[in-house]
Amino acid sequence: MPEAVIECQNLTKRFGHFTAVDHVSFSVSRGSIFGLLGPNGSGKSTLIRMLCGILEPTEGTARVAGVDVIHSADDLKGKVGYMSQKFSLYDELTVSENLQFYGRLYGLTGARLAERRETLIALTHLERYLGRRAALLSGGWRQRLAMACALLHEPPVLFLDEPTAGIDPVARRELWDLLFELSSRGITLFVTTHYMDEAERCSHVAYIFMSKLIVCGEPDDLRNLPEVSPPGTRRLEITCERVTVGLQTVRKMTGVRSATVFGQSMHLLADANLTDEDFRRALAAAGIRNADVRPIAPSLEDVFVTLTTREESQVSA
Amino acid sequence: MKSPFRGFTAILYKEFIVVLRDPLTLFFMLFPPIVEMIAFGYALDNDVKHMPLIVFDEDRTQESRLLVQRLENTKTFRYVGEVWSTAELASAMRQGKAYAALQIPPDFTRDLRAGRTAHVQVLIDGSSSTIALQALNTALSITLRDSLLTLLSESGRRDPPVELRPQVLYNPAMRSPNFFVPGVIGVVLQIATTFATAMSLVRERERGTLEQLLVSPLSRWGLMLGKLFPYLCIAMTMAIGLFGIMNWLFQVPITGSITALLIGTLIYVFALLSLGLLISTRAQNQMQALQMSMVMILPSVFFSGFIFPRETMPWIFYAIGSVLPTTYFISLLRGIILRGAYFPEYWHHMLVMVIMGAILFALCVLRFRRKLA
Repeated sequence: MPEAVIECQNLTKRFGHFTAVDHVSFSVSRGSIFGLLGPNGSGKSTLIRMLCGILEPTEGTARVAGVDVIHSADDLKGKVGYMSQKFSLYDELTVSENLQFYGRLYGLTGARLAERRETLIALTHLERYLGRRAALLSGGWRQRLAMACALLHEPPVLFLDEPTAGIDPVARRELWDLLFELSSRGITLFVTTHYMDEAERCSHVAYIFMSKLIVCGEPDDLRNLPEVSPPGTRRLEITCERVTVGLQTVRKMTGVRSATVFGQSMHLLADANLTDEDFRRALAAAGIRNADVRPIAPSLEDVFVTLTTREESQVSA
Repeated sequence: MKSPFRGFTAILYKEFIVVLRDPLTLFFMLFPPIVEMIAFGYALDNDVKHMPLIVFDEDRTQESRLLVQRLENTKTFRYVGEVWSTAELASAMRQGKAYAALQIPPDFTRDLRAGRTAHVQVLIDGSSSTIALQALNTALSITLRDSLLTLLSESGRRDPPVELRPQVLYNPAMRSPNFFVPGVIGVVLQIATTFATAMSLVRERERGTLEQLLVSPLSRWGLMLGKLFPYLCIAMTMAIGLFGIMNWLFQVPITGSITALLIGTLIYVFALLSLGLLISTRAQNQMQALQMSMVMILPSVFFSGFIFPRETMPWIFYAIGSVLPTTYFISLLRGIILRGAYFPEYWHHMLVMVIMGAILFALCVLRFRRKLA
């Protein structure tokens, strides 16, 4: 078991009667890319703020980079990097001045500051924009600048709160390339997102729903959870013509537990005793020929949908 | 590494760039005080001069005309016309065409020559008490002087039995600007400085940049001093400009030590900037900061002795005035600028402001949480 960089036990935050984070426990090991997923308002930002030491937890304990977040929050300052959800650099300052400012804020001076600046400018390719006001940067470049500023003081952990919200797909891809590069340098990354494809890129994922942590682990382990892939069932992908009509057909079949459309195909969870031939026959009876049936592994979306549904039914029960 | 001021130079660097790069903010900080100063300086003038005077002269003799002329010679009154009936006279007063009216009865000269008391009526518009008071005093003094001279010539004495020799010190011409303009500087400086810092932290809170500062090792002292210092420089520049306007435009001479004046201003500005920062630590948004600043500024306008003398105020307003830095600053300014006071004569005003500034600054540092609410 590698060393845990972030560790929390029963971390809870209540605002009056509202519980924003409800007894959340997990640990993140060094160098991993930990993805925290969940719908808006599920408590992701609150959790990050507590782990960064800027929000007092109501209950529970947390250690980040070896520092007790609750009792020695001051020692934590300067040991973590944080990119908040809102762009939080100074619009009036140029790219270069923002770097200068954050460097000094973290106590860097002289040659050391110059060296860190150069390293991060090279890493984020901000060279062309050094003289430009931050206000005039596009979303993707703003995020790069924010990341450069958050990394100037070489924190072992970087928290990123929805870093890819609202930026274009190319910038999103490039930002993830940057994250992989950082991870390869041994920096632990804690990322929140609600893009499922980004979850697939993480080495570890956790899903938070209605303030509670529903699941946490490596993506492959999650796919093999018995709740997600119950024994005696299998997941299939069927590609066919008129897929929406086909969906209605397979949903009526006994032994089909769930079915949903995915572009030109549909994904379903069915009892293992239903053969590929059974599906082809049923679809042919509905006038759909040449259906291609193949087994697939559950996606992380399948994992989260299954677990959320189960959680909701437990809450209402 | 664990200096209590860590992050100070970073904040200072950033604040200077932010303040100087945004010409609009700088303009709105520097320009209104100058306009306010000029407007206030001219508007707040209660020197009563050239009050329109109408005359209803039923006597129409050389003596009666002499009386009118003597009133006009005081420059307090300006003869604007004659009326022919008491009704006309009353109407002119009601319309506000004249602030004062002189009615000389037909037997004025006859009574005067016969050695009887001659009666003259003066009507004064009392809607503005300051104006009425001055008109009354001028009219009284003229007639008293006339009476006295007549009595003297009758009794054969050449000089009056008692003669008062008044000497007005410090502002011999009794010009209003000398009294008001230093006060205007105090109030105008307060408005500009309190607003400037009251907005600064709130703006960071609204924009989310505060959160980024909170995760850094920046200390509370470093943050507050870094925020305060650039505005201290701007406010001092502004104050020097305002003293210049006072001196050249309003012709108010600085009779005391300029160094003492600047030190006092520095202390005052520091206290007000701290007050602004304190508001900033409480307010959740810029609107709230604006309203809270207004609540702080209004009492300074009314209870600091800027317009109304504090000595005549009910005790509650006097007490409010006693906790306002502006009260002490205005006293200090009047002492140094007008009376040429020396250090032993005003040091207590400075001391009070130093204590106020220290308390306000300490409060804003201690009140500021390095956590989100």
